[in-house]
Amino acid sequence: MLIDQTHRKWFLGSVVGLALATVVYVPYSLNSPQGPKGSSVLGLIYGSVGFAFMLFAGLLGLRKKFPVWRVGRAQTWMRGHLWLGLVSFPLILFHGGFHFGTQLTRVLMWLFVFVFASGLLGAALQHFIPRIHTAQLPMETIYEQIDRVRGQLAQEATRLVDQCCATLEGEVSGASERQRAVAASAGANWDVTVASGLQADEPTSNELRQFLLTEMLPYLEKAGPRGVRLGTAAQAQAMFRHLRVLLPPNLHSQVDDLENICLEKRQLDKQNRLHRILHGWLLVHIPLSYAVLLLGAWHAVVAIRF
Amino acid sequence: MSSKPAPEIQLTIDGRPVSVPAGTTIFDAARINGIPIPTLCHQQNENPVGVCRVCVVDVGQRVYAASCIRQVEPGMTVKTSTEQVQAARHTLIELLMSDHPAPCARQQHSGDCELERLAEAAAIGQPRFPRRATPRGKDDSSAVIAVDHESCILCDRCIRGCDDIRHNWVLARRGKGYQAGVAFDNNLPMAESSCVSCGECMVSCPTGALTNKRVVGTELGQGDVLDPTELLHLPIFQNVSGTFLELNQKAVVKRHYRAGDIICREGEFGSTAFYILEGKAEVFLSSPMAHVRTEGSSKGFFSRLKSMLAPRQQHSRSEESNRPFIPIDASVDLPYDSPIAELGPGDLFGEMTCMSYYPRSATVRAKTDGVMLEMLRNVLDILQRNKTFRAQLERTYRTRALDSHLRSVPIFASLTKNFIDHLRDRVELVRFSPGQVICRQGEPADSFYLIRIGFVKVSEERPGGDLILAYLARGGYFGEIALLSGSPRTATCTALDHVEVVRILREDFELMLERFPEVRASLEKVAHERLEENRRRITQIQNLPVDQFLANGLMEAQSLLVLDLDRCTRCDQCVRACADAHDGVSRLVREGLRFDKYLVATSCRQCRDPLCMVGCPVGSIRRRNTLEVIIEDWCIGCGLCANNCPYGNINLHPFPVELDDPDHPGRMIAGTRVKATSCDLCHDHAEPSCVYACPHDAAHRVNPPEFFAGLLKQSSPLNRS
Repeated sequence: MLIDQTHRKWFLGSVVGLALATVVYVPYSLNSPQGPKGSSVLGLIYGSVGFAFMLFAGLLGLRKKFPVWRVGRAQTWMRGHLWLGLVSFPLILFHGGFHFGTQLTRVLMWLFVFVFASGLLGAALQHFIPRIHTAQLPMETIYEQIDRVRGQLAQEATRLVDQCCATLEGEVSGASERQRAVAASAGANWDVTVASGLQADEPTSNELRQFLLTEMLPYLEKAGPRGVRLGTAAQAQAMFRHLRVLLPPNLHSQVDDLENICLEKRQLDKQNRLHRILHGWLLVHIPLSYAVLLLGAWHAVVAIRF
Repeated sequence: MSSKPAPEIQLTIDGRPVSVPAGTTIFDAARINGIPIPTLCHQQNENPVGVCRVCVVDVGQRVYAASCIRQVEPGMTVKTSTEQVQAARHTLIELLMSDHPAPCARQQHSGDCELERLAEAAAIGQPRFPRRATPRGKDDSSAVIAVDHESCILCDRCIRGCDDIRHNWVLARRGKGYQAGVAFDNNLPMAESSCVSCGECMVSCPTGALTNKRVVGTELGQGDVLDPTELLHLPIFQNVSGTFLELNQKAVVKRHYRAGDIICREGEFGSTAFYILEGKAEVFLSSPMAHVRTEGSSKGFFSRLKSMLAPRQQHSRSEESNRPFIPIDASVDLPYDSPIAELGPGDLFGEMTCMSYYPRSATVRAKTDGVMLEMLRNVLDILQRNKTFRAQLERTYRTRALDSHLRSVPIFASLTKNFIDHLRDRVELVRFSPGQVICRQGEPADSFYLIRIGFVKVSEERPGGDLILAYLARGGYFGEIALLSGSPRTATCTALDHVEVVRILREDFELMLERFPEVRASLEKVAHERLEENRRRITQIQNLPVDQFLANGLMEAQSLLVLDLDRCTRCDQCVRACADAHDGVSRLVREGLRFDKYLVATSCRQCRDPLCMVGCPVGSIRRRNTLEVIIEDWCIGCGLCANNCPYGNINLHPFPVELDDPDHPGRMIAGTRVKATSCDLCHDHAEPSCVYACPHDAAHRVNPPEFFAGLLKQSSPLNRS
């Protein structure tokens, strides 16, 4: 989510709320003989409000599970999650008087720190990475379709190489026929035109096939660029430059297409990487958040009851 | 529209005084009077060009005249078979034979190479002239037609067939001198050219230069194969080329049906048409007569949308169609209330499927034991050009279908039987090939048109290209604006596929308006609405830099789902919400065109140029006056609209229904039938689900002209400075 001017209201609300909480906390902290405690009235208020904010933030997961529910626009929930989640951390710190306590509360606080940090990291990632995505991946596809697109690229590359090889090997006779006909109609000697006909170029086509089998297909069929020369833009450029030297100019457009296929594959790899970064932090954030909510509830019950 | 008859011209042909209308060619004058003149390059259905000169005749001038192009003149004396004329013909045929590989493929297969028959008749054996030294070669690339350039005599019959008759514009002349020949497109092999294998060139060719290949798939399996002699005995095949029937023997078969047999099913993709020789058949729709209704309460926290089938009686939508008949691919329309009709001997059905490969529009079942002819496109096409068959088809239409066809159009519902009887003998059925212009913008208006078969594109010529105003299907009508206002045509109407229209002449149209003021009022209202809509659209286009968007079709959209990619985290919540809102069938895909940082997602754009409507075999997809796409109750779920939508924005939604058990007649089994659906903007809710569910404020439904105009303003360098 892009954090921009549209968040102004939430930002101001959070700042005002936090300032109020701080204004109340400072004299409370200074005037408490044994320091601020979670069991005091104010401490309980901070704890309850903080936990309520945490609960609200946690409910975003449920909201997203049922996107069609008309319980408020999802973006309102997301903004609430972001800003109330942010404010909940200082409130909980105020609740505990900046102490992590012992045993359960210590575990709870450290978990909360991780949740908070991972949340901040996630917000930052979701603020910046979509723009990188948009700017650097013009050939982006749907993430779930990447494997399928890779398969299609491999098929396309095979088709192009077959086409080039056919031109190099099989269609020579056809080409020379045309050449003969044109030359003959222009009055040339038949034998001369036969001698000038193209010769089948099997070594080149073998080399091209070898390139497909050993370089391109392994690269296209495998997810990620590791261990393959075509995965690096500079090396790929050098390889295609060599191919252009090897092949006659009439096949250069096919070489361009093959190079574009590799470029698209590199973009797919990058998309894969960025997508994992963009959503990978949730693997930490979500389970820890549930743990914090469960332990927080347990802590509330235990603290109030005992 | 009345024209004076041409004055008669008196002349003498071979000593016989004859009288023919002015403008007649000598060849036709001789033919009318039973005097044969041989020819190679001239065919009755093509414009004469006079290139082979075999039809030369002596008209008493310095040089002989080609009778196929030379028109008669008063007092002309024509000699068609003097010794000198025959000697000239003899030399011409001998010259042609010297380059002809006798016997050519056609002579070998069917013994009717026109050149070789002429040579035989003229007793020409071994030509005295040497053969051409440079071979012209063969083209074996096509799967259906063999091309032997060696046998070509450059008569141009194939070129005229391709260009003038079929308007395919594939064939043309190439090369000069000995290298001259016919070429496909830019001298490409036939298979690589834009040739549609219609076979017109093959049927037109007088020699073995273009011959039929016997290939799998061009023959109908099962049924009684009729040989050409048997076919020629059937009245509908009278005057059809025996050569063509010989070459396409298995392209038409006779089938016997027992009462209850299913002849074809709605939604199936076929390539044949049926002609009923004996017996009766009933045509009906087995798809549920209901539209997809998606609803859910807009109040309440946990309201969900639910898709269901709802017939008109249960649920009426705004601007509901009031068409009482459903158009199908047969001579009759089906009443909406009881979609079943009867076909009898002489009826043809499946024309659109056969000619334009549309899905079958209805299910046809034999009502009594009967016999039908099933034919492929090439046979039907030849039949359609046969005057005997056309006359019969028109007769059947006038007597049986005109009434219901006119009444199927709501504005003509009030016409009296007397007036329809008056029109019966006056309307004209006119056929148009794909791409042919029916009426052109700026021309004077002389007729009103009602579409019987096919699709018509209505466009207006604008600087920078044509602006598509509408697509009209069977039951649609056009030409009323110019007739009502007395002005020239305001738009160009072009046949998109094989189109047949009912033409009502200006006099009859005016009579109808005079006698039926309510028809006039309805037509004037429609004309006004159409003009207003066109004007609005043109204003929108004029206010924007159209060329930037036309290429992407964005200007054609009325509503776009746009994702701001700088905000979008690719979480797919929008897709999930759409699927959730429509019983698990998403109506959007998060992929599509990119414009700057915006992605135009694959979701119905409510195009102004709705290509999805072209081809619907039952005309069930249309748009409201708001231009929103609406799919009518009688959608048969064939999926053609989904295929036609260039943006992949129409989906097929399966619904559970009860179906007839084919194994146990009378019993029902559970099954599913699909109906086409497109984005309905979750109209029961204040906001579409995709937009509502986007947590990142990335998804927006926008009005393209406003949105892109704003975007251009922002990004314009002038505005930045």
